[in-house]
Amino acid sequence: MAPFAILFAFVFILPIGWAVYSSFFRQIAEGGGAYGGGKLVNKFVGLQNFQYAITSADFWTGVGHVLVYTVIQVPVMIIAALALAMVVDSFVVKHVTGFRLGYFLPYAIPGVVASIIWVYLYNGQISPIVKGLAAIGINVDFFADNVVLLSMANITTWTFTGYNMLIFLAALQAIPHDLYEAARIDGANGWQIAMKIKLPNVRGAALLAMLLSIVGTIQLFNEPQIMATADPGISKSYTPMMMALNTSQGTLTPSGDGPASAIAIVMALIAGVLAMLYTLAERKVNE
Amino acid sequence: MIRNRLITGLAAVAALGMGLAGCGTEGTSNNTASNTATSSNEVVNITYMHRLPDKAGMTLVNDIVAEWNKANPNIQVTATKFDGKASEMIKKLETDVKAGTAPDLAQVGYAELPEVFTKGLLQDVSAEASKYQSHFAAGPYSLMQVDGKTFGLPQDTGPLVYFYNKAEFEKLGITVPKTQSELIETAKKAAAAGKYIMSYQPDEAGNMISGLAGASGGWYTVKDNAWVVNTETAGSKAVADVYQQLIDAKAVTTNPRWDTSFDATLQDGSLIGTVAAAWEAPLFLDSSGGTGAGQWQVTQLGDWFGNSGKTSPDGGSGVAVLQTSKHPAEAMKFLDWFNTQVEGLVSQGLVVAATTEDAKTPKDWADFFGGQDIMAEFKTANGNMGDFTYMPGFSAVAAAMNTTAAKAADGSGKVSDIFSEAQKTSVETLKNLNLSVAQ
Amino acid sequence: MSSATVNERERRRAERRLEKQRAAAEHDLPRSMRPSAAVKVITVVVLVVALFYFLFPIYWAIIASTKSPSQMVGTNGMWFAVGLGDLPNAIASNYATLLGWTRGNFWRWVLNSLIYSGVSAAIGTIAAVMAGYATAKFNFRGKNAAIGVIMACMLMPAALLTIPQYSIFHSLHLTNTMLSIIIPCCVSPFGFFLGRVYAQSSVPDELLEAARIDGASEARIFFTIVLRLLAPAMVTIFLFLFVATWNNFLLPLMMVSSDTLKPVTLGLYGMVSLATFTDRGALMMGALLGVLPVIVLFLGLQRFWQSGLAAGAVKG
Repeated sequence: MAPFAILFAFVFILPIGWAVYSSFFRQIAEGGGAYGGGKLVNKFVGLQNFQYAITSADFWTGVGHVLVYTVIQVPVMIIAALALAMVVDSFVVKHVTGFRLGYFLPYAIPGVVASIIWVYLYNGQISPIVKGLAAIGINVDFFADNVVLLSMANITTWTFTGYNMLIFLAALQAIPHDLYEAARIDGANGWQIAMKIKLPNVRGAALLAMLLSIVGTIQLFNEPQIMATADPGISKSYTPMMMALNTSQGTLTPSGDGPASAIAIVMALIAGVLAMLYTLAERKVNE
Repeated sequence: MIRNRLITGLAAVAALGMGLAGCGTEGTSNNTASNTATSSNEVVNITYMHRLPDKAGMTLVNDIVAEWNKANPNIQVTATKFDGKASEMIKKLETDVKAGTAPDLAQVGYAELPEVFTKGLLQDVSAEASKYQSHFAAGPYSLMQVDGKTFGLPQDTGPLVYFYNKAEFEKLGITVPKTQSELIETAKKAAAAGKYIMSYQPDEAGNMISGLAGASGGWYTVKDNAWVVNTETAGSKAVADVYQQLIDAKAVTTNPRWDTSFDATLQDGSLIGTVAAAWEAPLFLDSSGGTGAGQWQVTQLGDWFGNSGKTSPDGGSGVAVLQTSKHPAEAMKFLDWFNTQVEGLVSQGLVVAATTEDAKTPKDWADFFGGQDIMAEFKTANGNMGDFTYMPGFSAVAAAMNTTAAKAADGSGKVSDIFSEAQKTSVETLKNLNLSVAQ
Repeated sequence: MSSATVNERERRRAERRLEKQRAAAEHDLPRSMRPSAAVKVITVVVLVVALFYFLFPIYWAIIASTKSPSQMVGTNGMWFAVGLGDLPNAIASNYATLLGWTRGNFWRWVLNSLIYSGVSAAIGTIAAVMAGYATAKFNFRGKNAAIGVIMACMLMPAALLTIPQYSIFHSLHLTNTMLSIIIPCCVSPFGFFLGRVYAQSSVPDELLEAARIDGASEARIFFTIVLRLLAPAMVTIFLFLFVATWNNFLLPLMMVSSDTLKPVTLGLYGMVSLATFTDRGALMMGALLGVLPVIVLFLGLQRFWQSGLAAGAVKG
C-alpha cells in the first residue's frame, strides 16, 4: 500500500489540492486600464468561480451532452464487451487469438488518431461508408445535430470495447473449472453455464467497468475536440472537460486556472453523485 | 518459473530506474556547466521555442540556427520545437515563466501578442527592436507592439488575398469581380454552372472574417486608457451581407477550411476561387492534388466589403522576447538575423515579414500559380494592410466567432450573428481580465 | 455479488488446489459441452462481424498510410492509390515525410515511448496490485477513507492536473527528465480498483491463512502466492497502463521540451496540432508503426488469457 500511497499523494492529492486552492482565485490583469500592467495577478474571489460554473448555461449544456452520451454509450459498450468476452471464452470456437487481438487493436490506436480516422469515415464527401450507404439509398449525415453525439459515442465504443472485453476475459479465466464440471454433471448446457455461472462471476468486474466507464465519459474530450475540425459547430465548451481545458488555455472567457478548476470540481462533484447513485441503485437491485 | 521471471523483471525495473535517475542528474549538471561557462568565457546561451512545421524538404530551423551558432561562438542558440497547439504553447510559456524556466525567445501569433503581454510573459525590447525596424515591413512590425512598446520582431505575415483558377474563370466567361454587386452576381453565375468562386469557412471565421471586416477599419481602439469595442462596423456589415447573400443563394462552399472536405472541393474542381491568407499558397499545392495546377493565380482583394483596396492580416506571427530572458540584447541580435533568413523561412512555407531581400517564389509554387511571381503579389498585399489591432484575450473571441459561424453555414443562424457574438465576447473577455472598457 | 457465492467459490478453489488430480482433467472439454453446429455458425458469424467492425477503420488507416495528402481525398479510400508495383515508393515517400516531421527522431521517440510505457506500467502494475490486495484483504485504519479518496480523485480530470504536476515536478527539479513522465504515469486509480476487485475474487482467504500457518511472511505470501493468482489481472492492468502512457501526450507536452526525451505520440500530436497539417497518410503510418510494439506486447502476454492457463499457472 505504501508505495502506491506515496506516488498517489504526489501525482493526485497534491495537484488536486492545488486545483481546489486555485479555484478560489481568478487571474486578472494587474492595474487595469487598456492593457493592464503587464502582469496577471491572482485575486481571491471566494466562490465566484463556482457561481460562474453553476450559472453558466454552456456548462449545463455540456453536462447534458455528457449525460446523454453516457446513458447511450456505456451500456452499449459494456454489454458488447461482455458478450464478446463470453463468446470468446465459450469453447465454441477454438482459435480465438486472432479475434482477441483484433478486438483489442483499436485500443492501441492513440485517441487523437482514432478520432481522425473516424472523422474521415464520417465525412460525406469522401467516406467510403457514407458513399456506400448512399449507393444503396441510405443517406446519413454523421454530423447532423442529433447524430453527432452518436458518432462520437461510436468512436469511444470502437476504442474501448476490446479492452473491456479483456477485463471480463481475465475475470472469466479466474472461474474455477470445477464449477463447470459440477454444472455439467447436473446436466446444464453451454447457454445455462454462461448465464448461471459465468455471468454472476464476472459481475464484480462488469459493475466496476461500468462505473469506471461512466467516470471516463465524463472526461470526454478527444473525440469532440477532433470532431470539431469537421464540424466547427462543436463549441469550445461542448463537454465540461473541454470547457475546463479551454478555459485554462484562454480560448473561453473567463479564463485561467481558477475558473477551469472550479468547472472541473463542479463536474467531479456531479460525477461523484452519479457514481454514488449508480452504486446505491446497483445495491438495491442486488438485494 | 514465473517467480524468477518476476524477480528478473523487478531487477530490470530497478536498474532502469537508477539509469533514469542518472539521466536526470546528468541533465542538471550539464546546465550548471554551461552556466559557469557563461561567466568565464562570455558565451551567452539563448533558447528559442517555435512551432514552425519543420517537415521534410524544408530547411530545418535547427540547421538555420546551426549556421548562426557557427558564426557566433559567443551567442549560442538552442531551438526547441513545441509539438502542440498555439493555445497550449501559451499555457506552457505561462507556466514556464512562473517557474523561471521559460525560453528567451518564443513564437507568438500577432493575434495573441496583446494577450500574452497582459499575461505578463513579455519583455519590453523597444530600444533593441528599433535598431532592426528597417529590416521589416511596417505593418507586421507594428503588430509586435502593444501599447507603444515593442516586444520582438515579426517573422511571417498572412495578408488576405484572392486565389482563383484563371482557366476556369475564362471557361465560364467571368472575371475577378471588382465590386460587391459584381462579386455576388459572378458567384451566382458560377454556381449555376456548379462552380464556386468563394468559400465560407466557419473554422477560420475568427481569423479570416475578422480580417475581412477589419480591412476597412479596426474593431478595437484604445481611448483614455480604455477599450472602445465595435465589432459591428460598416466593414463587418458588408461582410455579413455578402456572405449571407452567397449562402442564401447557395453560391458559396461552406466546408470548414481544415477539414478534408475542403480539399475535396479543390480536387473535384468545384471550388475555383477563394479568399485566402498568403501562407495558404503552398498548402493549395498539397490540397489540390494537382487539379488546376498551372491555372491558379493570386490577386488582390476587390472592393467587396467596403475595404477600397485594403486588406488585413489573417494569422502570421512574430517572435517575442520573454519576461525571464537575461540576455534580451543578444536574443534580439539573433532574432534579427534569424527572421531575415528569407530563403530558409520561405522553405518553411512562410511569407516573410523581412524586407531585407525580395523573397523568391519557390519554383513549385510558381508552377502551380501559372508562373506568377506570387511573392511579389504578397508583398503588395503586405503594403495594403490596414490597421487592425487585436485586443488581449482575442483567442476567446475568435473561438466564439467560429462556433457562431458554423450556425450560419447550416442555416440555423445568420452571418451577422458572428459580429454580435464577437461584440459580446470581446467586452466580456476584457471585463473578465479586469481591463477597462469604454461606455 | 453476494458473499455467499464468493465464499462458496473460494472454498471450492482451495479444495481444488489441494486435489491436484482432479484438476488435471480441466483442459479437456467434456463431450456433453460440445456445441451444436448451429450454435457454432452463429458464434462464428458474431465474432467475424465484430472483427470487421473493429478492423475496418484500421484497414482504412493502413491503406491511408500509403497515400499522399491529395490521394487521401481524391482516391478510393478502400484501396491503394497507386499500383501494387509503385507501392514501395509510396510507402517510402510517406515514411520519409514521417521522419521529416519527427526530425529524424521517430525511432528514438518510439524507444522513449517504450521506456516510459514499459517502466511506468511495470511499476504501476505492482503498486496497483499491492494496494488493491492490501485494501481487499487487510483491515487497517482509514481503509475506507483511502478508498474513498482514490475514488474521488478518479473523478478529477487528469488532464487538468498536468499544470500543478508540472509545478510540483519543477520544484523537485525533475521537469524535462524521463522521471517527470514515468512517475505520474505509474499511478492509476483505475489499476488500483481492478487490482482490488480481482484480489477480492481470486485470492482465497483460506490459502492466505494456510500460508500464514506455515510461517510465511506477508511479503513472501504476496510475492509468491498472490502475484501468481493475480497474473491475468496484472496483465490487464499492465496493458492498460502501458497503452495509457503510450497515448498520453498532454503530460509530455508540458513536462519535456528536449527533442531527445519526447515520446512518439507527442511527435504525432505535434503534426496534428498545426492547423496547416495535411500529411494525414504519414500520420497514419506513424500511428500504425507505433502500434506494433503494443501488438508484440499483446501477443507476448496473451497466453495469460489462454483458457485454463491462468489456473495452470496458479498451480505452478
